[in-house]
Amino acid sequence: MATIAGEPPYQERSLFVRKATGLVRGWSVHDAFIYATFSINLITLGLYIFADAPFIPKGSLLLAIILSGAYLVFQTIVYAALIAVMPRAGGDYVWVSRVLGGGIGFTLAVCGWWFINWHWVPIYANILSKEFFQPLGAILGWNGFVTFFNEPKGIFTASVITAVLAAFFISIGMRGYARLQKICFYGGMLGLLIIFGLLLFHSKSAFESAFNHYAVKTYHGPPDAYAATLKSTYHGASPLGGLAFGSTILLIPMIAFFNLWSNWGATLYGEVRGASDFRKNIYAMAGALVVTTILAVIFILLIAHTMGWNFYNSANNAWWNGKDALGGVWPYPVTLATFFVSPWLQFIVILLMSLWFFGWVGTVFLTASRVIFASAFDRILPEWAARVDRRGTPYYAILIMLGPSLIISYFYAYNSTFTSWTLDATLVIAVTFLGSTVAAGVLPWRKPEIYNASPIAKYKVGGVPLITVAAIAFLAFLGFCIYKWLQDGVYGSNNHDSLIYMGCLYAVALAIYVGSRIVRRRQGMDLGMVYNEIPAE
Amino acid sequence: MRLYFATDIHGSETCWRKFLNAGKHYDADVLVLGGDMTGKALVPVIDDGGGRWHATLLENRSELTTEDEVAAFEDAVIRRGYYPFRTDPVMLRRLEEDESHWHGLFQEKMLETVEKWMRMADERLGGTGVRVFCCPGNDDQFEVDEIIESAKTVELAEGRVVDIDGFQMVSTGWSNRTPWHTYREEDEPQLRERLEAAIAKVTAPPERTVFSFHCPPYHSGLDDAPELTADMDLKDAGRAVKPVGSTAVREAIEEHQPALSLHGHIHEARGNTRIGRTLCINPGSSYEQGDLLGAVIDLDGKKKVKRFLLTSG
Repeated sequence: MATIAGEPPYQERSLFVRKATGLVRGWSVHDAFIYATFSINLITLGLYIFADAPFIPKGSLLLAIILSGAYLVFQTIVYAALIAVMPRAGGDYVWVSRVLGGGIGFTLAVCGWWFINWHWVPIYANILSKEFFQPLGAILGWNGFVTFFNEPKGIFTASVITAVLAAFFISIGMRGYARLQKICFYGGMLGLLIIFGLLLFHSKSAFESAFNHYAVKTYHGPPDAYAATLKSTYHGASPLGGLAFGSTILLIPMIAFFNLWSNWGATLYGEVRGASDFRKNIYAMAGALVVTTILAVIFILLIAHTMGWNFYNSANNAWWNGKDALGGVWPYPVTLATFFVSPWLQFIVILLMSLWFFGWVGTVFLTASRVIFASAFDRILPEWAARVDRRGTPYYAILIMLGPSLIISYFYAYNSTFTSWTLDATLVIAVTFLGSTVAAGVLPWRKPEIYNASPIAKYKVGGVPLITVAAIAFLAFLGFCIYKWLQDGVYGSNNHDSLIYMGCLYAVALAIYVGSRIVRRRQGMDLGMVYNEIPAE
Repeated sequence: MRLYFATDIHGSETCWRKFLNAGKHYDADVLVLGGDMTGKALVPVIDDGGGRWHATLLENRSELTTEDEVAAFEDAVIRRGYYPFRTDPVMLRRLEEDESHWHGLFQEKMLETVEKWMRMADERLGGTGVRVFCCPGNDDQFEVDEIIESAKTVELAEGRVVDIDGFQMVSTGWSNRTPWHTYREEDEPQLRERLEAAIAKVTAPPERTVFSFHCPPYHSGLDDAPELTADMDLKDAGRAVKPVGSTAVREAIEEHQPALSLHGHIHEARGNTRIGRTLCINPGSSYEQGDLLGAVIDLDGKKKVKRFLLTSG
């Protein structure tokens, strides 16, 4: 059909939609991007993990961040595909239970999203202490306050604050939390730009002078602290532009502690209208991954430019060895970057940067609450676990997240043996991802009806479904990380006692599932009915 | 008595077929479909001449070169809950230009499908003793009621109190106001009056009473829907949810305390909760995936329903 000049070209209509509930225009990639960006949090997780990089001799931190960031796009494809095939499902628990079976789905999800997050509370708390309480306390001259957070009482106090904050965010609901996250995102980004500006527009000599000044004034460190720090140079550290590929690959399982989480909020409300929603989820998650990777690279280059790469590695090395120039306070790069400005400006910028923590802290309980709800609706957990009050607050779910996390935090703070038991906390989450990734890989064959009805059924690579190809690629990554975590002590997670402890958590989860099936059968309910598909013909 | 409840299948023929088979699969005596039976979209399959066709589903364009391919594509459309129709480029453009024309076509396809489903129910469940109730929801046009009413096996439940094995079930598919201005929605006071008028006909005691109200009770967790922007986009990528249920439904449950209250309407809000002694269930909906979400409930006439399962069939 000819197009009349001046008229917009004719666009054929492929769908006629009537007025009906739930039909929405779309959703913003930007909003989903914010959530994913908070999950792979450069400031709370990234900076903290980068400090561990010197433990892998000759590994190039820069290259490891770039390579792992690029490779983990496969992870975003796996999860975006799972969302496209089974949206609104509730995440890993529902995907795995529907594809691989209820027992495995419950055990993996409960351990990986609920039980293990009790153990992440003190880890989050540690970051709160090091990036919020201690730097602010030091600026205010509250020396006792600063050292308090290195002691068991301080670790436990920070854990209680973390757990209560996370519980509060769950109680205000996703609507309130999403808004708070947006404020934190923009505030945190502003803070990050200020930090980048401070590092970019100051020289190394200016930093040396500022560091020497504030190390003494605020942290009661030795005179000429910069030079003293450099004396702790870790000779195994890679030069900034190092290209030692083998060592860099070994650094990736370390970096995964930071960038493995772009899928943390992998669930979608509303109807998936088509392939564009699949792509949008990839853009949101992979976008967060790529942008965070770029910001990490910029941050590291600026640290090297202004602080000096040797200084950065030495400062971390000195801190790990208890020989630092800041009185036992972690050399938080944000704090160091603020040394160019007056103490009250330092205070404001660190406060602004703490929004990266406060926008993130709710994630420690958020997915757990979804798993609790989904398994209560499947009648594995008791009915009361999903009960909400008149304001919609899931008080029992909060209680079973908050209560155990406080008990575990207490033991974490006061019992070093127990602390070592929690070392495999990341491994357990990765194993949950492994289950979901296997489910994704076999989905086209295990649930062909559902898969073929999805907008991604058309995406194939060499005749193999894209979801399967991406799953295999991501499985290789997970397999390598899990192998290295189990095999090499340098990652701090091949602790024998910790493995036994984590094994016990799996046993408890499995026992709950089996016990629940027995109890429900006695009550006349076969839980197998929850997952059995009704024949359509 | 074992009751199976599903809702919001929105034209998905796969879900309807599964619903009809649910009696046998779950050993249920009664099947209840809670509303919103009809589909939301028409999909044109366009004749390009020379035996070639093209069409788009879920934003994926398909080029179809054989009658088998066209038929397979149409099946995929039907499974998803949409209505396919064959046309050519000229007719399609005419259809686009005249809203009443395609609305008429929509109605024709929708009612045709409901008629086909009623026949299917007769074939599969006629003489089995399984009772089937359908109560159209706010998205269903009023003409749907007439078709159900004329069916042999399926019984229309809208506004009625029906006796089932010593229990009474009262139903309505009406909801409170939605942003979409659908067929059966009204302000809360009118909805309350409608509910009370229907409930007034119930003679069974609360422990033998079942409410089947399409709209869930307000702030029950069964009514958490994604918040929308003024442009009808999902706010915060759908992560910001807010309660959109009916206060009238909630008040009716709080006041009358039936043993069971069945709901749908909000597909995302799958779950169960108790309001006083009443067990409230919204099994949710995943009709687009052909996954029939439902609930199997055993009623024994005691004060509380104790045996139920949310299923994913």
